Amino acid sequence: MNNKEESLKSLSECVVEMEDEKIISIAEEYIKAGYPAFDGILYGLVDGMNKAADLYENEEYFIPELLICSDAMYNGLNVLRPYLKKTDFSQKAKVVIGVVEGDTHDIGKNLVKIMLETAGYELIDLGRDVPAGSFVDTVKNTGASVVALATLMSTSTNNMKRVIDLLKEEGLRGNVKVVVGGGPISPAFAKKIGADGYSESAVEAVKLVNSLVDA
Amino acid sequence: MKQKMTQKLRLSAAAKKQPVDRPPCICPGGMMNMMFADIMEQAGCLWPETHNDAKKMAELAYALNQADGFENYGVPFCMTVEAEAMGATVNMGNRLCEPHVVESLLTSCVQIEKIKPLDLQTGRVATVLDAITILKGKNPAVPIIGNLTGPISVAGTLLDMSLLLREFRKFPADAQRYLDIICDNLIVFGKAQIEAGADAICISEPSGTGEILGPQNFANFTVNCLNKILDELNVSVKIVHICGRLKSVYDIIPQIHCDAFSFDAVVPIAEIKKHVTTHAVMGNISTFALGSMQPEKIASLVSGALTQGVDIVAPACGLSTTTPLVNVQTMVDVTRTI
Repeated sequence: MNNKEESLKSLSECVVEMEDEKIISIAEEYIKAGYPAFDGILYGLVDGMNKAADLYENEEYFIPELLICSDAMYNGLNVLRPYLKKTDFSQKAKVVIGVVEGDTHDIGKNLVKIMLETAGYELIDLGRDVPAGSFVDTVKNTGASVVALATLMSTSTNNMKRVIDLLKEEGLRGNVKVVVGGGPISPAFAKKIGADGYSESAVEAVKLVNSLVDA
Repeated sequence: MKQKMTQKLRLSAAAKKQPVDRPPCICPGGMMNMMFADIMEQAGCLWPETHNDAKKMAELAYALNQADGFENYGVPFCMTVEAEAMGATVNMGNRLCEPHVVESLLTSCVQIEKIKPLDLQTGRVATVLDAITILKGKNPAVPIIGNLTGPISVAGTLLDMSLLLREFRKFPADAQRYLDIICDNLIVFGKAQIEAGADAICISEPSGTGEILGPQNFANFTVNCLNKILDELNVSVKIVHICGRLKSVYDIIPQIHCDAFSFDAVVPIAEIKKHVTTHAVMGNISTFALGSMQPEKIASLVSGALTQGVDIVAPACGLSTTTPLVNVQTMVDVTRTI
């Protein structure tokens, strides 16, 4: 059996190199060798996903590659997660995420979800074509402190504003930070509809949410 | 050439980079939505019923051109006709919200037997063809643009896009067979639109972009499929729109067999003109600005695009349904007065 360092490196490499099947046995061996699940996730899987994100930023990877890297990460996570100790994770804020009503394009949203989960946030994914009221109800029911809205369709951008307006009407706007993103969205649009932030990519979204939650 | 051209001649000349009296100002329709609440109310043709009614569809396209709007007729007003005809389930939306696919048909591209062959006689495929026939009887000086949703976008709707992207990588041969069937259906629809009277065909590809797929997949899948379709269409103007950033695929775009190439507001016209010298360039007035800014701002954006040498003025990525009519009129007006 490899030593711990080598095992972590293999986990990371499986994520970067899109080995979404091989990673399962590597993760099982890692646990069998008695190494802590927490380290495997953080220094193996998350390390790999961060490296994949760097390759994406540098335009060496594109979305198909990133999706298979994330499949590998999740497959590894499924093996390691049951072995986590309760004290291992101090969960960060809850984030409600979804594609607004009128649009079913959810790749961007899924990437943001993956990156935020990788960064330790608890994600509540409402899926796609989500009516404004569902975002507001979910904030009410879960006490989430961040709402992340996405759309690829220029015709759906106004539904982002509806979510923000409805949060205001329900007196919840002060409790949550709202971030928006997607093809037709610009920083100017985000500002105009009263969002707290805009990010251009999934990697930037993590930095944005970190800065808003820490503030 | 200073003699005044008809809207139809101007578009076909501009698309072929031949001399024109001035550039045309159009919005193709389809994924590049050209309709908004102001004009629906003015024409008395409201969404969503208009999507299923050839007469109203034609009437609405006619009304926008008549109101000093875009210099073309264009149908349909969404990107779901093809996917629905092949078996996907569509929510028809409402006054302000476009129809959209709510249920994918496949869970893997190997299930090609589930794809319905596109039937020209039924559903909204027939509605679109009838609308084109009706528009043919209106002003013959106005070009009719028929629209096709791009093959990768249709493929990513019948099968969830994120699954399709994985299968591109894992099972490229199956993915290709799947795309071939979609292309064949799109060719049938495109040819029928031309036969019904379309003067131009615009294929819009919001999902099969270089930004999403990366340059290699973009060349292998998107460009090959587009060319397969374009080569079968015998029509005087062929337009292709690719969404998103293009930096990684600038040098691949000239390989697309279209006349005019349309692109997003994030792409600078000057950059495109540097790399795409063989095609007319079309665009790219910000959809967001058209929907939300004052007419003066629109005027300056259009002047800017003309100065940078855009061959055909058009919204970058269609219109939001809350776009004010005055902004569209301003866009056309500035193009007319140069």
